[in-house]
Amino acid sequence: MDNMGRQKILIVDDSDMNRSLLSDMLEDEYEIMEASDGEEAVAILNLRNTDIDLVLLDLVMPKMNGFQVLTVMKERQWIEDVPVIMISSESSPAFLDKAYGLGATDYISRPFDVAVVHRRVVNTLLLYGKQKKLVDLVTEQIYEKEKTSSMMVHILSHIMEFRNGESGEHVLNINIITDLLLRQLVQICDQYPLSVSDIHLIATASALHDAGKIAIPYKILNKPGRFTDEEYEIMKTHSMQGAMMLEKVTKYKDEPLVKTAYEIARWHHERWDGRGYPDGLKGEEIPISAQVVALADVYDALTSPRVYKKAFTHEQALDMILNGECGSFNPLLMDCLKVSAPQLRELLNSESTQDSGELEVIVDEIGMHEELSASGRTLQLLERERAKYQFFAAISREIQFEYTVSPNMVRLMGSEVAERGLPELIMDPANSDQIREILGEETMQIMNGVLNTATPDQPIVEREFEALGHGGTIRKKVIYRVEWSADEPPQIIGAYGKIILL
Amino acid sequence: MTLKEFYDKIGGDYNGVMSRLMKEERVVKFVRRFLDDKSLATLDEKLAEGNYEEAFRAAHTIKGVASNLGFSRLLDSSNELTEELRGGTALANTDHLDRVRADYEQTIEAIHALEN
Repeated sequence: MDNMGRQKILIVDDSDMNRSLLSDMLEDEYEIMEASDGEEAVAILNLRNTDIDLVLLDLVMPKMNGFQVLTVMKERQWIEDVPVIMISSESSPAFLDKAYGLGATDYISRPFDVAVVHRRVVNTLLLYGKQKKLVDLVTEQIYEKEKTSSMMVHILSHIMEFRNGESGEHVLNINIITDLLLRQLVQICDQYPLSVSDIHLIATASALHDAGKIAIPYKILNKPGRFTDEEYEIMKTHSMQGAMMLEKVTKYKDEPLVKTAYEIARWHHERWDGRGYPDGLKGEEIPISAQVVALADVYDALTSPRVYKKAFTHEQALDMILNGECGSFNPLLMDCLKVSAPQLRELLNSESTQDSGELEVIVDEIGMHEELSASGRTLQLLERERAKYQFFAAISREIQFEYTVSPNMVRLMGSEVAERGLPELIMDPANSDQIREILGEETMQIMNGVLNTATPDQPIVEREFEALGHGGTIRKKVIYRVEWSADEPPQIIGAYGKIILL
Repeated sequence: MTLKEFYDKIGGDYNGVMSRLMKEERVVKFVRRFLDDKSLATLDEKLAEGNYEEAFRAAHTIKGVASNLGFSRLLDSSNELTEELRGGTALANTDHLDRVRADYEQTIEAIHALEN
């Protein structure tokens, strides 16, 4: 915060006299910048719009008039963060309407009155300041909330994996598929009035669909061969057992999350034609939450390897479901599955999608509240980051890393990381046994050597080498960019890059 | 000449400007700066070039300044001229322009008198 955090006001008026007059009225409390026409104003805003707290804007000006400035500010979404007060002597309703329509906040008529100018400026700054703070607060809270629930889903999925010997991704995949199918469903019909948060709730609750398997004997649960009839009957009790467990969560039993989780646990093996279990419900008797999770469960079970079968391809699984080989489902949901098929395949191929889920929910949830529109630019940034993240994660079959000297740690990313079960964060990587295990002794020495060959002028380093691993010699390539501090001489502050298996 | 006498002489609104700008010192400062105003010269120049859009802007500027400083007489005449130029066409006659020029020059003269 320079200038003791004084707020900055940009005065845009072609009359020197008017600018001086306003400046004279405001300069004791605010830092004043001036522009004598619209073009100059846009240039200043372009350079430092985040820095400017308020614009006082004249209408009739050379080069670019006030409406044109407002139009640019609206197009570039600056108007959402930088309030504008009109100061023209044009005061006809038509002019004012147009200015308000373009996003102006207020209007100060001429002749200028010190008291009025002060009041309007103070009010506008207060209002925007409060709104900015609120948006930040809400964003932070939603993020925290999302982080916590997404963390719980991750933990649960690992607990399930531990006991079921199922693929660890099952719970995560169900979450993704459920979310995708429901989004599709509300787009193609009005029958199920689900909001964005309803969909999120169902997807989150889906994590508990197989909770009842905890009550199934380990030997049956992990039996590699076919079940006997008796074993199958025991296996089938998991849906009811899960529902009972959830019913006994007395403290939260009226919470929508628990109610939804109950529906899903109990009825995710029901079928549309009434031939499922445990209650033999038919059609819409089955809650939509359970209908969707049932379909997601079948799709994921088919496309994942199990102790008793290998994985089917996406296409095979789709054919089997659509042909009715896995029981009958709501025809609308089958349509959703067909329409979502390409996305589904893409999503399941890039497992790191999960990590960007939090951002997605923030974007959606904030998007639902018009009063939070001032955060438009923040959302755009989040949206862009998300798209970028998904793109890189999806195209890479390699290990990406980000290394920082302080704190001394390395963060691993990329689909290979999840696939090989590597940890995401490793502290003190130079002395880490985990890194040594992942990379091998030689690779580590080479990495260290390569790091030392980088210079501030040539920060990007690329090297191919051979390393022992997995019972043979593997060619690897490492590319990374070393980051330097602005100190003199520059110090290495970190590096980011990737290791590619050739 | 006092500031009040100055405003009476040019047909201005002394009470109005004092209530808006609060301080006589501030009013005097900006009244003096009116001497540096180039709007009338710009107006003449643009009219001579036949650039009526810019001429409108110059008239508009005179109006705005006159309004802020409480130069009521100049405000009235410049307002009429501004409206006449708003269409972007040549002036039918120089009546409004002449009035603006007369009021403008009288105001400049009075400011010089105020300074002495």
